[in-house]
Amino acid sequence: MEDFLQLITEVLEIEDRTITAEDHFKQFDEWDSLARLSLIASIDDQYNVIIDDQTFTKLETLQQLYDEIQGRI
Amino acid sequence: MHNPFSLKDKNLIITGASSGIGRQTAIAASQMGARIILIGRSETALQQTAEQCITETRVLSLDITNYEEVSVAVPSCIAEFGKIDGVVHAAGISTTLPLKNITAEKMQPFFETNVFAAIHLSKIVCSVGNYNKSSSSIIFISSVMGVVGELGKTIYSLTKGAVIAGSKSLALELASKNVRVNAISPGVVVTPMSQNAVYTQNQEAFEKTKSLHPLGLGEPTDIANACVFLLSDASKWITGINLIVDGGYTAK
Repeated sequence: MEDFLQLITEVLEIEDRTITAEDHFKQFDEWDSLARLSLIASIDDQYNVIIDDQTFTKLETLQQLYDEIQGRI
Repeated sequence: MHNPFSLKDKNLIITGASSGIGRQTAIAASQMGARIILIGRSETALQQTAEQCITETRVLSLDITNYEEVSVAVPSCIAEFGKIDGVVHAAGISTTLPLKNITAEKMQPFFETNVFAAIHLSKIVCSVGNYNKSSSSIIFISSVMGVVGELGKTIYSLTKGAVIAGSKSLALELASKNVRVNAISPGVVVTPMSQNAVYTQNQEAFEKTKSLHPLGLGEPTDIANACVFLLSDASKWITGINLIVDGGYTAK
């Protein structure tokens, strides 16, 4: 989980705070359409997992995103 | 009556003929009388295209980025089929990737298919004995992304801009051989490629993309008809242009 949160921090370029698994990532100030693209591409790079749009739309917290990835590895 | 738009007795090569714009261009060109060598990876899909053509066709299933194979298979097919009057490079692949996810390695396949294969095929066709010396036409299917930008489309834009730029220099180089070289830049056309794209998987992004095209999204036939024009004698004084066919996307 620590590595995952580090990845999210880097991809979304979060500089001013520490994020947690309970955070609703789509409500981050850094969240926009490009961040979405970048996150999906980075998850593909890092975990070799492609999350389809329908699934991605339903995810809200970083824990849910993490579980989704783990379930597909 | 003489029809300057007719492609009767013209021999064409169309890449990416297994689906989308390439397939529709083959069908439209066939309806205008052209005989066609259909190139693509899937023999089954090429056969389906061939079945929709009303003129003679040859199916050449190969990977156009396998340059050695192309160098052998294409001249041999031309020798049997007849000298080539026109080429449409419609094979293309796309991606949406932000800068931070771009690497040289990830750019490579897009350049291979969209750019290098186009030049390699042009070189083969423009060799002595392979093309009609009195009048030939080469078309690179580019994209409005080769002219304007969009978030995450950097790699695709790089490749599509490359063929627009390359087509102009090539047009100058080949003019003395009576070979015209032009690019066609479609906006978003509903094809298997665009349906796999991020903006169509996401309903919100799809609606936004659609709204950027004043005449709505394009159909493969919109591009196929532009190809017929640039392949035909009706465009005999046109070379080195980029014909934008985008439903008004770049009009703003």
